[in-house]
Amino acid sequence: MEKHLIEIKNQLTELERLATTIETLGEQWNLPMNFCLSLNLVLEELVTNIIFYGFPQGGEHLIQIEFMLDKTTLQLTVIDDGIAFNPLSKEDPDLKASVEDRAIGGLGIHFVKTIMDSVRYERSNKKNVLIMTKSVAV
Amino acid sequence: METTISKSANYTVIAVAGRIDTVTAVEFERSVSQAFEDENNALIIDCSGLEYISSSGLRVFLMIQKKMMAKKGQLHICSLRPNIKEIFDISGFSGIFKLFGDLDSATKF
Repeated sequence: MEKHLIEIKNQLTELERLATTIETLGEQWNLPMNFCLSLNLVLEELVTNIIFYGFPQGGEHLIQIEFMLDKTTLQLTVIDDGIAFNPLSKEDPDLKASVEDRAIGGLGIHFVKTIMDSVRYERSNKKNVLIMTKSVAV
Repeated sequence: METTISKSANYTVIAVAGRIDTVTAVEFERSVSQAFEDENNALIIDCSGLEYISSSGLRVFLMIQKKMMAKKGQLHICSLRPNIKEIFDISGFSGIFKLFGDLDSATKF
């Protein structure tokens, strides 16, 4: 089993470091390129949400992201100490709405739910914990 | 993220390459806004070099579509890579945009 943990600040500039980390892990763990792009998308959407809405009081916070590869299943865990927010409680956006009525809100979470095989949310020790898995397509 | 804008008699092509994420979406929005200032009512976004897009980038695509509709213009999107096409499909965006396999077919308005 392989494991990697990174901590990023609640700043958008950290997204670049996150992307680089995923790319490096992809090479080390032999993950397909498209798989890595999907992981990048899922993490960008989650981290962006946390940065924008998680800390109404402001201040510097750390977001922990853990990557764990067990044979052909990758587990992602995202932990933040922002306000309680269960992304799974959000309703799916209306994907059939016309251009005029289309809203972008909620699309990010929809990506997370569609791309990952499983998504589980816990609130523990005043922290949001999101545990997701995705099988690495061979 | 890089954009190249080229204008011909009947249409304008914006070729976008690299990554459109939460950070670069602002830049992308700024570049495409320039393309609105010209008189062409036909716009093509060539995505052959687009490697990655997140919901922030899709928001800009939606904004462009709305602006084009407001000025009674047309927007064609071409050459989406398979992973980007998948994101368009998941979003339901494939149904609201006119997508083309290559630039040549996208130039036929």
